[in-house]
Amino acid sequence: MNHPLTRRDFLKGTTALLFGTSLASSQEQAAPKKSRVVLIRSREVLDENSTVNPDVLQSMLDESVARLLDEPDGVKAFRRLVKPGETVGIKTNVWSYLPTPPELEAAIKTRLVDAGVSPDKIGLDDHTVRTNPLFVNATSLINVRPCRTHYLAGMSGCLKNYIMFAESQEAYHPDSCADLGALFKLPQVQGKTRLNILCVLTPQFHGRGPHHFSRRFVWNYKGLIVGLDPVAVDATGLRLIMAKRRQVLGPAQELPPVPKHIQLADTRHGIGTSDIGSIELVKLGWDEEILI
Amino acid sequence: MKVRRSGRLILGAVFGFIAVLTAFSGGGAVSEFSDKVPRKIGSFGAEGEDRVYDRKTLYDYMDGGAEVYLAFDFREAWTRRYAGPGGRELALDIFDMGTSGEAFGIFSCDRQDPGAGLGQDSEYGYGLLRFWQGRYFVTVTASAEDEETGRAVLDLGNEVVKHLGKPGDLPKLVTVLPASSLRADRTSYFHEALNLNNRFFVSAENIFHLDRSTDCVFAEYDAGAGGTAYLLLVRYPDAEKSVAARRSFVGAYAPEAEPEGLARTENHKWVGAFLEGPFLAVVFDAPEPDWARRLIASLQFPRK
Repeated sequence: MNHPLTRRDFLKGTTALLFGTSLASSQEQAAPKKSRVVLIRSREVLDENSTVNPDVLQSMLDESVARLLDEPDGVKAFRRLVKPGETVGIKTNVWSYLPTPPELEAAIKTRLVDAGVSPDKIGLDDHTVRTNPLFVNATSLINVRPCRTHYLAGMSGCLKNYIMFAESQEAYHPDSCADLGALFKLPQVQGKTRLNILCVLTPQFHGRGPHHFSRRFVWNYKGLIVGLDPVAVDATGLRLIMAKRRQVLGPAQELPPVPKHIQLADTRHGIGTSDIGSIELVKLGWDEEILI
Repeated sequence: MKVRRSGRLILGAVFGFIAVLTAFSGGGAVSEFSDKVPRKIGSFGAEGEDRVYDRKTLYDYMDGGAEVYLAFDFREAWTRRYAGPGGRELALDIFDMGTSGEAFGIFSCDRQDPGAGLGQDSEYGYGLLRFWQGRYFVTVTASAEDEETGRAVLDLGNEVVKHLGKPGDLPKLVTVLPASSLRADRTSYFHEALNLNNRFFVSAENIFHLDRSTDCVFAEYDAGAGGTAYLLLVRYPDAEKSVAARRSFVGAYAPEAEPEGLARTENHKWVGAFLEGPFLAVVFDAPEPDWARRLIASLQFPRK
């Protein structure tokens, strides 16, 4: 048996194994190009009641995608992602306790239209993406959802967001949802994802109760994590969740349950990089309590 | 006791028969709660249709949480929503877990709030009430945490508990634990690796070979000087499986362990894995080897 990640790795401080970092990769002479991830935060995006300011959120989306692609503004950046005449599916998440904020969905739609996509060629869906004509015919996908812990998978992020494309969701549950990365090779999905947005406006760092949700474990982080690589985006989200768990729950509970699917999406399925040494994390905006 | 999958099926049939019998003395089929549980609680009133979910349909209700229940002998869930003033809501969920041991198990894996004095054990905090009695596990979840809503949550819990039938027994494996220095309200009972890792992360792989045929108790002990030691006790279907599991655990977690199964870990504490027939007992974070040995020696293993 290969050495599995264990509690002793945390005691040794070698938890980088969780992110696929290996001695071999750190010793490579010619490092491959890093996968860029942008973390953007704004103090003003949420008010004291956690209500979203749509204008601030639009600015955050624009600035982060522009920086991701080294473009001067959000409209030009989205024009790099999609072309006029395309059919685009926005794969959102409608989990009732912590859905993708509608203001974020609207901000994405706005920029897709600005990039030349006809409004009637933009789909927004979660549970019925397999049959929704706009997703069946989609030539591009935008992957957007909130970041939270998950009892089985450890973390629900951009990788797990595509489970609705699977014919059988249960087929992806064994071994702590180890093979979620394979979702990105489904015919309806493969090669179509243009942007991954992990919403960390109010991430959930621990779960309990009948639906694995409790308001006490959600905090106003006021951020977005944006990238072209869903694995790198989720690996960054996992770092954030772990940092918050360490801060609030203590080192013994730093790790949510076995989020092995992120590393395996890299090492087994090859759809992105989980190695934190190969991720270029660009931080923009408000940096108080940034944690990572 | 050796519990094989076929044994579980037989036990399930026996418990099913018992469930029919007890339907007349409280705690019957979950759909009966629709007639028993009051539709009005203070300023809150039932809203929408009551719903029942089984092992196949639970995913429809528990988007992201069904696995927690399916890792136990969950049978059915009965749910109802209450609406109150100002858009406040209560969600009542009653889970038939098949046996009292399983009901205790699902309750025990997720404890962290003060008791609420309901059922056989309970806790309440941040708008979430959880309790168990007999073969039922119950949650009441509130959308708000004001005083009126909190009172309604507890009133609803008190109404529900009247219809849950008689108290049931704890799992026998829980009674094996030495009481001295035990933090009793931290003891958890479960079967699968998924529950262990949510309770106490050991490994990303299932190195204990846990599945539905294994019974597990995880307990916390005061180890002196403010420290905590942890005990995982697993009952396998037979001694062959417990031996294989110990070999797997030691190989993956403490390959340097002495033949006795003890090793010093990076936090300067001790881990030890001990066998007793079909039982595997693993102590984490013991302050000294003798501390671990004493704890294991005081376990009251049930005889066949």
